[in-house]
Amino acid sequence: MILNEILKIILYGTLVILFVSVNALFLVWMERRVSARIQLRRGPIHVGWQGLLQTVADAIKLLTKELVTPSHADKFLYWLAPVLVFAPAVAAFLILPLADHVVIRDLNIGFLFVFSLTNVSFIGIFIAGWSSNSKYALLGSMRAVAQNISYEIPLLLSTMGVVMMSETLKLSGIVSAQATTWFVFPQFLAFVIFIISALAEANRAPFDIPEAESELVAGFHTEYSGMRFALFFLGEYTAVFISSAIAAALFLGGWREPAVPWISLANLGPLWYLLKTYAIVFVVMWIRWTFPRLRSDQLMALAWKVLIPLALLNVFFTALMMQVFEK
Amino acid sequence: MIATEKDMKDWLIEVIKPEEMNDRDFLKTGVFFEAVVPKNKIVEVAREFLTQGYFLESLTAVDFAECFEIVYHFNRWDLPKRACVKVVAAKETNGIDGGAGVMPTISSIYQSADWFEREIFEFFGARFDGHPNLKRLLLPENYRSFPLLKSFKGEAAGSDVTQSLELIKEYAHEFEVKTPHSITKKENDYYLNLGPQHPSTHGVLRVLLHLSGERVLGAEPIIGYSHRHHEKMMEIQNYLACWPNFGRLDYVGAMSYNFGYARLIERAMGLTPSPRVEHIRVLTSELNHIASHLLWMGTFLLDLGAFTPFFYCFDDRENILDILEMATGERLTYDYFRFGGLDRDIPTEIIPAVKKFIPGFKKRLKDYHTLVTKNPIFEQRTKGLGILTKENALKFGVTGPTLRASGVAMDLRRQESYSIYPELDFNIPTATDGDVFSRYLVRVREMEESLKIIQQVCERMPASGEVKMKVPKNVPKGEYYSAVESARGSFGIYLVSDGTLNPYRIKLRTPSFSNLSALKTMVPGCLVSDVIAILGSIDIVLPEIDR
Amino acid sequence: MAHPVSPAPGLVNLFRVEDVINMARANSLWPLTFGLACCAIELMAGGAARFDLDRFGAGVFRPSPRQADLMIVAGTISRKMVPCIKTLYDQMPAPKYVIALGGCATAGGPFKYPGQYGILEGLDKIIPVHVYIPGCPPRPEALIAGILELQKLIKAGKTEGSLSPAVVNDSQNNRPAEYKNAISRAEFRKPPAPPVAPVAPQA
Repeated sequence: MILNEILKIILYGTLVILFVSVNALFLVWMERRVSARIQLRRGPIHVGWQGLLQTVADAIKLLTKELVTPSHADKFLYWLAPVLVFAPAVAAFLILPLADHVVIRDLNIGFLFVFSLTNVSFIGIFIAGWSSNSKYALLGSMRAVAQNISYEIPLLLSTMGVVMMSETLKLSGIVSAQATTWFVFPQFLAFVIFIISALAEANRAPFDIPEAESELVAGFHTEYSGMRFALFFLGEYTAVFISSAIAAALFLGGWREPAVPWISLANLGPLWYLLKTYAIVFVVMWIRWTFPRLRSDQLMALAWKVLIPLALLNVFFTALMMQVFEK
Repeated sequence: MIATEKDMKDWLIEVIKPEEMNDRDFLKTGVFFEAVVPKNKIVEVAREFLTQGYFLESLTAVDFAECFEIVYHFNRWDLPKRACVKVVAAKETNGIDGGAGVMPTISSIYQSADWFEREIFEFFGARFDGHPNLKRLLLPENYRSFPLLKSFKGEAAGSDVTQSLELIKEYAHEFEVKTPHSITKKENDYYLNLGPQHPSTHGVLRVLLHLSGERVLGAEPIIGYSHRHHEKMMEIQNYLACWPNFGRLDYVGAMSYNFGYARLIERAMGLTPSPRVEHIRVLTSELNHIASHLLWMGTFLLDLGAFTPFFYCFDDRENILDILEMATGERLTYDYFRFGGLDRDIPTEIIPAVKKFIPGFKKRLKDYHTLVTKNPIFEQRTKGLGILTKENALKFGVTGPTLRASGVAMDLRRQESYSIYPELDFNIPTATDGDVFSRYLVRVREMEESLKIIQQVCERMPASGEVKMKVPKNVPKGEYYSAVESARGSFGIYLVSDGTLNPYRIKLRTPSFSNLSALKTMVPGCLVSDVIAILGSIDIVLPEIDR
Repeated sequence: MAHPVSPAPGLVNLFRVEDVINMARANSLWPLTFGLACCAIELMAGGAARFDLDRFGAGVFRPSPRQADLMIVAGTISRKMVPCIKTLYDQMPAPKYVIALGGCATAGGPFKYPGQYGILEGLDKIIPVHVYIPGCPPRPEALIAGILELQKLIKAGKTEGSLSPAVVNDSQNNRPAEYKNAISRAEFRKPPAPPVAPVAPQA
């Protein structure tokens, strides 16, 4: 039994790491091509067919770069930070339901597990700026602290409506509860709030103030080079993917096919899930290249004065509607 | 009471009793009168000029054999009333070798004089009594010579490897942070260096920020990282050879600089270019104006975090550069104008190309309005930020769109009515708030006005005309000041010509110099992100500041 | 200079690891945003939509020197700027490459004349340069050509740099400066002498 478990852990672990790497490679390529198209240009097209090997070249280059440690940095924390940022994002793949009863570990706390782990990621960001012993990095970290704490609340509050309607925290249960209609229709406001908060949690523009390129040189990862920087990069893209995957599971019906009569490919569960996730990722990238950046105090005003009241209202309204329709 | 130049002249004669008072021909020399006042009266003169609503346009020094002349130019916003006030300072024999002695400072009255006087100190050795911070401005602090003195014959900095590596050691301590003169340090404050290598400083500018958390308590720009000794270089070149310098001062708006130089020498020599030349000059100038504003807009929005408009602005700009390349052969650092004419005539394909460009660009401007001007995040980031009051604008000598956004409709194209601008129909856009958003709006509207001008010029372009002219060999002896409106403000040149092949002294009065010195009034109380936005909205080009 | 050793021919030709890594490095150059003067505008135009450096993988401009591997010095180097450039170069992790863009970074450009006091006549006097791109300013196409040249150098493995300036014995530096001396102010302000009336020829 124990051997069985250990073999399963190794197998799933390897699969997840492989998937994360290939996915990150693909996502970075997608970002560069999507942004290029929005910006009237082509993007990487020469390295491999249509530039698909561009990220591979980037990865090899980053792997073979010199690792520089600033002279007065706190060495242990400086080493630890990128690991803390990247590892939890990988662990979040445990609970994603790929098809009916196909999931690595169907935890009964479901997506709360993911969000607790992303908080560990955020501690990594904080440690990165602190241990670098550089003013720019510290400014970036302080902004990250304020931002991530503020956006945790609307992120979780917006999912409460969904949880109430499906009466379980398990992701597989939530997907099953969307047999008749996807939750994006009754919970549209929650969907919007969730996407905005997820953007802020992943430090993506227009909320990328901790790594604001034009203001803070490179924010909290100013002093990181080579593979350590690559881990931050990977962590950010994986966080975007995870948030989109959870949004797809919570609101867009996960692996369920759309309920229209002429589509009846019920066995393509994982493919539908991937498609929905990438659709949300595409919208996230689209948003990045369209809007200017919010200033840190405006960002927090948005969270506390707009998103949290709206999310609370949504919870209240959902509860009311459930009472009314139960009778 | 609005003073006319006659009143200022009368006041000077009655109250100050100048040593010399000469009338000057405004059309030839650019000033109405020239007064030489004694050293101890200059502060009183400056105070009266400020009360009467004049701003300090330029302050420089000229090195003669037996004495120095410190030259002050004052001008007004509403009418062209440029006055030249001079102080003759004796040379010191025991201090700096051949350097000027001690002068009173007017920086308590005109804050723009702060930087002008520092520059005179570092290039001529003149010391200003009472100046709050008399340190070098454009050269490293421990540099020993005074370059613009006639006795200085050059000092090659990096002509071999050993010398160059020595420079690194010599100037390495420049970056130690010392308490700036205007800031008192408190418990939890700290200093942050923005630049000289920073994605948003538009060139190599260093701003020393005094911060408490993320609140800015003070900002001090430190310039000189792009100093390329234009003024000293021009003293060794003949007038024709100076043309490439003007292309490289403000490289994004180089046509106006060409215009300024051409206008200066043509007024001095009394030349009138043909109407075709004037039309072509205005056409290329206004196209360059739009290109400069487009580049500004792209980089400004990039500073705010909007990555995409940069590419659209550059795309539009490339279309304009194609047209200008057809005419001049260059993309960027133009030296297209010549005295009395142009380097070459424009090819026949240009006017159709311009006519094709205009409707496409009008559509793009509408897109910019929809996506940027009405964007709520953009409005939140820029409204009410970095306000420049009219009083500060006067004291700091701010000109250009930065001034027009504070409600003052000063534009040299209207005020001095040069070239064919009096015959063209265009408005001067202004805004009243004086914040970052107003400056953005003024520049976008200026692009629309420039389009109007271009349309009119295309329709009335004379079919033929002489583009070259025979000009006298030397510029007649005398002192001349000429100013034109560039994309950043009023660009002025002060020339002292001794009748030979080379200029004796050229002073370049660049708009970004005075505009940047006003940064410290717009910044206190805001966040670090806002400093970047405010800096971007002033629209500076560093080589024009550092010359 | 040692010539590169070619692998022995065999039935199956495998790439050496070095070649793979060099190809990766060549195709993934991340420039440092470091424009000094006029050439910086052409550098920005090179990264913009029409010329698009990103096609070659070189479009990710990183603001922090720790994350960049290509330093494109675009513009004139003034006295004050010299220690900055050296510091930035030292902060970049190896392997790093340098392109001198424009005449000023190559050898001083139009600002070099006998009697100059303010500029460094060429970047290669303080750091090793791999590619020089002349021009004032060079067109973005020239910049792309320079980057492709650098990619060729990297793929061939020929990027060991040393301080060997391109311009060493310059005749310009031996000429004396031709500055004029000061003139007298009194002389300068004297009104021009009235034109002499032509003397009637002696009978």
